[in-house]
Amino acid sequence: MNLAQSTALEISAAVRAGRISARVVAEDALARIAATHSRLNAFTTVTSARALAEADAVDAAFVSGRDPGALAGAPYAVKNLFDLAGVVTVAGSKINRGLPPALVDATAVSKLQSAGAVCVGALNMGEYAYDFVTENAHDGATRNPRDETRSAGGSSGGCGAAVAAGLVSFSIGTDTNGSIRVPSSFCGIWGLKPTYGRLSRGGSFPFVDSLDCIGPFSRSVSDLAASYDAMQGADPRDHACAPRPVAPTLSGLEGGLNGLRIAMLDGYFSQGGEPQVHAAVAQVAAGLGVTRRVEIREAALARSAAFLITSAEAGRLHLNNLKTRADDFDPGIRDRFLAGALLPASWYLQAQKFRHWFQERMRELFREYDVLLAPATPVSATKLGQQEMTVNGQTMLVRPNLGLFTQPISFVGLPVVAAPVQTAGAMPVAVQLIAAPWREAELLRVARVLEHRGICCAPTALLVP
Amino acid sequence: MPTINDPAICAEISVLHDAYEAALAANDAAALVNFFWSSPHAVRFGIAEHLYGADAIAAYRQNHQLVFTERKLLQRVIVAVGQDTASVMCEISQKVSGFPRHSRQSQVWVKFPDVGWKIVAAHVSNPLAPVSTNWENYVDQAAGALGLPLSPAHRLGVAAQLSRTAAIAVPLLDFPLPVTSEPAPVFTA
Repeated sequence: MNLAQSTALEISAAVRAGRISARVVAEDALARIAATHSRLNAFTTVTSARALAEADAVDAAFVSGRDPGALAGAPYAVKNLFDLAGVVTVAGSKINRGLPPALVDATAVSKLQSAGAVCVGALNMGEYAYDFVTENAHDGATRNPRDETRSAGGSSGGCGAAVAAGLVSFSIGTDTNGSIRVPSSFCGIWGLKPTYGRLSRGGSFPFVDSLDCIGPFSRSVSDLAASYDAMQGADPRDHACAPRPVAPTLSGLEGGLNGLRIAMLDGYFSQGGEPQVHAAVAQVAAGLGVTRRVEIREAALARSAAFLITSAEAGRLHLNNLKTRADDFDPGIRDRFLAGALLPASWYLQAQKFRHWFQERMRELFREYDVLLAPATPVSATKLGQQEMTVNGQTMLVRPNLGLFTQPISFVGLPVVAAPVQTAGAMPVAVQLIAAPWREAELLRVARVLEHRGICCAPTALLVP
Repeated sequence: MPTINDPAICAEISVLHDAYEAALAANDAAALVNFFWSSPHAVRFGIAEHLYGADAIAAYRQNHQLVFTERKLLQRVIVAVGQDTASVMCEISQKVSGFPRHSRQSQVWVKFPDVGWKIVAAHVSNPLAPVSTNWENYVDQAAGALGLPLSPAHRLGVAAQLSRTAAIAVPLLDFPLPVTSEPAPVFTA
């Protein structure tokens, strides 16, 4: 069994059949993490002792005839803003290094532990998640396993790199404005940003409370569904976590398109990117037999409003540290936090009012359609250190513009699967599959069709020796 | 007392500095590295990086793409001291990542018997070009109201960021929303 190329469910099946022990799987993952660390810089903490203890518990459950869980023995890692008991939750910052270690695991982590998954460590991210490239001022840049001179995307860049390189079978990150979908696109892997409020953020370090979501990355749609299923459930630790019943998606994954009404997003979403990203949308649409197009006229305003909400809430969140130790922030991010802390309240409130209005417009759209298609990023993975990009002859900054297509969607909490399209001789890009709130199951079914038809896939990147 | 500003030496340095600028414009990493003294004693301070020794300078050049546009030399002062030492001090107007900067570049050149003129030390800085005074005033007042002590080093950057944010906010603030559209106190998707 080639563990670097195995999915979480393949590993779990092997463990549950007694063909391999969870300990062997964990040791193999830890060895590959150590061997590639100097090249990828995906991990900031490797939790070897924890991983071996969790693996041993899975093996003990198997030996004694108990159910070791749906993700038994599957190695995974978390963006370093999730609490892991005994580990300091740095959230990509220097400042949080002074905090005491977390006492208990984040809710998502304890749910994954209950499902038998094995946590091997914490992953690099942009400072306090305010970043789309994971060039961390304190921990260094994470490199893209499909081309080590390029960014893995951000802010969950370590999540993308670790999964694409096969160091873990899946990972969990967060998405506020695109921080799951951008690394999925840059690394060419699957990512799921669920509906706002669907998965608990309990025990994760916040960025923008109005927008933050957590979600998984994987190399297969089944793993995306299985890890998402394992993390569902109401949670008093997160005020936004919806008190909805668990709605498993894995069992219905092969349901096919079955009458789903799908359209490509036109206008704002059909221009403004490199030809490759629009071609990827067309390829996915063709693969699904989709020809309809629909426009969201206020998409640019939705992005502006997401920007203002992000700025104001993040600035306020960090105000105390900005007052006392502004120099300890990443200089590339500090001024944005400071400006956010000073943002006029009227701007913020107008953005929140617009959010309500825009949400209604999207609800109307979803009366006619079930799934919408749009690019995830305007370009494929940018070079590390690259500050500007030219898209359609227009030169723009890289960092603030990678979320061009993701921000208007997460602005109203819609669920999105980032579906990776691989192109020979080029870096991959992802396409956003977007649904109405709480319709993750349908998105995952569409994703599975794309995977089954060979239109989207996420092979393990083989590092050139 | 060595000769100050021997015209022949000033001319040599001016040609070399022009060539250095051309290499920058062409993003010619090899040429840029070659202008520096190939010695562990060479030093280059960049906008954010501190490079000690020729190896560090070369490694930096290999891994970094220069991104600037509309680069214009505003002022260049060459001072040649004797026949083998000179400084070059420049003020430069340019756009870095699309934003106007008023940059400074300082270089110390020494002529070696074997390899000729090389840069032994250099430093560039990239302060933001001045932004609207209104935003600077706003930043001062708003920071005061919040009890946020703002270091002079951050003040201009914050004003520039707010000025960019204002440009983003304007169309949204102009968007006619119904009076009944209220901000969601608790947003539910």
